[in-house]
Amino acid sequence: MNLKNVPWCEKYRVYELEDIKGQDLAVDKIKVFLKSFPKKRAIVLHGPPGVGKTSLAYAVAGEMGAEILELNASDFRNKAKIGEIVGPASRQASLFGKGKIILIDEVDGISAMKDRGGLAELLGLLAKSAFPIIVTANDIWNKKFSLLRKKAELVQLKEIDSKVVLKILMDVCEKEDVVVTGEVLKGIAIRARGDIRAALNDLEVLSKMDSESLMQEVGDRDREKSVFDALKKVFQGSGIDEEMLRVYDGVNMPIDDLFLWVEENLAVAYKGEELCLALERLSLADVYRGRIRRQRHWRFMVYEYFLLGAGIANVKKYDRSGWVQYKKPSRILKIWLQNQRAAKKKSICVKYAKACHVSVKGAMKDFMLLRIILGGESVRKELDLSGDEIAYLDKV
Amino acid sequence: MGDIYNSEVWTEKYRPQVFEDMVGQEEILKRVKSLVDSMNIPHLLFAGPAGVGKSTLALIIVRRLFGASWRENYLELNASDERGIDVVRQKVKDFARTKALGDVPFKVIFLDEADALTREAQQALRRTMENYTSTCRFVMSCNYSSKILDPIQSRSVVFRFQLLDRKDIKKRIDLIAEREGLVISNDAFSALYEASEGDCRRVINLLQATASISPNVTPDLVNTIVSKAKPSDIKIVLDYALSGDFVNAKEKLLEIMLKESISGQDVIKAIQREIWNLPIDDGVKVALTEKTGEAEFRLVEGADEFIQLEALLAGFIRAGMGDVKEVKGEN
Repeated sequence: MNLKNVPWCEKYRVYELEDIKGQDLAVDKIKVFLKSFPKKRAIVLHGPPGVGKTSLAYAVAGEMGAEILELNASDFRNKAKIGEIVGPASRQASLFGKGKIILIDEVDGISAMKDRGGLAELLGLLAKSAFPIIVTANDIWNKKFSLLRKKAELVQLKEIDSKVVLKILMDVCEKEDVVVTGEVLKGIAIRARGDIRAALNDLEVLSKMDSESLMQEVGDRDREKSVFDALKKVFQGSGIDEEMLRVYDGVNMPIDDLFLWVEENLAVAYKGEELCLALERLSLADVYRGRIRRQRHWRFMVYEYFLLGAGIANVKKYDRSGWVQYKKPSRILKIWLQNQRAAKKKSICVKYAKACHVSVKGAMKDFMLLRIILGGESVRKELDLSGDEIAYLDKV
Repeated sequence: MGDIYNSEVWTEKYRPQVFEDMVGQEEILKRVKSLVDSMNIPHLLFAGPAGVGKSTLALIIVRRLFGASWRENYLELNASDERGIDVVRQKVKDFARTKALGDVPFKVIFLDEADALTREAQQALRRTMENYTSTCRFVMSCNYSSKILDPIQSRSVVFRFQLLDRKDIKKRIDLIAEREGLVISNDAFSALYEASEGDCRRVINLLQATASISPNVTPDLVNTIVSKAKPSDIKIVLDYALSGDFVNAKEKLLEIMLKESISGQDVIKAIQREIWNLPIDDGVKVALTEKTGEAEFRLVEGADEFIQLEALLAGFIRAGMGDVKEVKGEN
């Protein structure tokens, strides 16, 4: 196969179970599911994009020596097609000696309204399939999946830890013979927020540029240009016109990221009374965000976007002109850096929490007091603290 | 008196091992004891503030039920650390799969800080409780029972723990002083008690930290430890805000939250207390407190704690500009 034009995220898709990084718990669960089949006929792997749902399905199949029959959401619009693929397969259960696993990828794509028949078809398949079914989904908690949730085993795949992403990136760099500094790789790994696919895409784009200074631009792919434009409109325009009402439409970025961008630049754009008013509107926008998250009341998005755009623009009376240097969000990075620095503190607290029936979080909070209590030789021995941890305690 | 648990950490060393050693919560103890004596308990939900004996009672229950083999029949999980319900479920499953050892037909799972679980996780927990009800009993603890889903509450017997009386905590401290050979003056005990807000664990932690310096525990020594252990001063943040310097206020706030691992709730609590020490008019203090209350409400409702705290800082910036009416953002 000519791999030259294959995107890295496909080229380096892993097919071996041992290469799947950071999802040990999920791997175990799938194995248990396959062994106990047909106790449950389907397992749903759900989690954010790019954490390895599809790869995991293929890897498990590979290890079990099974063949994958892949269906995606659109196949379910067509009843005949399903019968064609799955029907014979189901009946010829053991003809080839080789087991089969049916993979239904990206089930989120099935619409509850338009594809009503599709979902029913899927559930029907779930009830009678002679082969184990693996389903992948981003948001399994969507209402339309309530029946699916009942019938299938659920396995959540976590976001990949940025350290794991970093390791994968370093691997790929070596194989592709690309030289990128550790700092830059770290930056990509953090920004990917657990999405390996996004991280590899970023790395690939970066590797094709000759100047490293371009790294700044790659960070969030093409998202940044559009977000800068939107910020300029919000922070420098005052009138609320049609364009202002849809100011974030062209920004290809999750709303959580948008909040971070706006928050970071509020104090760049505004001072004094305007800043106070803008903070108030940002706060209200965030309240709607919280309510959407908890109550799944999506209509609140109208207010969320309005407050975040027009609401924050409208705190000033006149348009602003001139060029303003808007900043990238730094909070997530600061949190990450702090966590790196506090790794020892955390590991001490984990040991303390286990011995003393408290939460790790609680121990972290009380750390200033605990470090005094943990000063003695014998208590350190009791908690089995390592040399590094003791050194950390003596330092702070 | 029960025997002393062999630990160098006093909260463990002096954790009551039998019902008779516990202080306070008399009514609860009576009822729980009679449940345990029948060798069969329902699911239990302990609600109440920190350091009043919820975990201790859970441990006493399993010791009483299972005797020497309690460790094999008991699993402790902390929901605020293991937030993924899948982890919880997996551990529950692994634990419940094997039969209980001994005469009691079930095992006990203690789910500490259960109110830290999301709604979805609680829904899942409810199913788990049902699935394993023949082999497992759940004892859950929480600060506020209102954060626990009704279906879970209705499957459990709920006990509401009260804050411990000063005299009850004194009883425990006197015992420790006697065993450890400490001299604690009345004033020193007051200082310990004041700094702990009725949280017995904190009192004992403070005492151990103080005693590590001298067995003669004085109020001054206690206060030295308290100030050493205090999180960095939130007042610096407020001072920046009052002077109109939002950027530095925000930077400092984030730094404190990250360094001290404190939550937005903790910050709000500290700010609300600090307001009364600020050099501003009473009217402004009232307005700021109102604004703080609103911020705490939004912090619960919203998605990003830090954004809500920043918005609260706006109130302080306005107070610094001297406009009382404006503090609350009423125009």
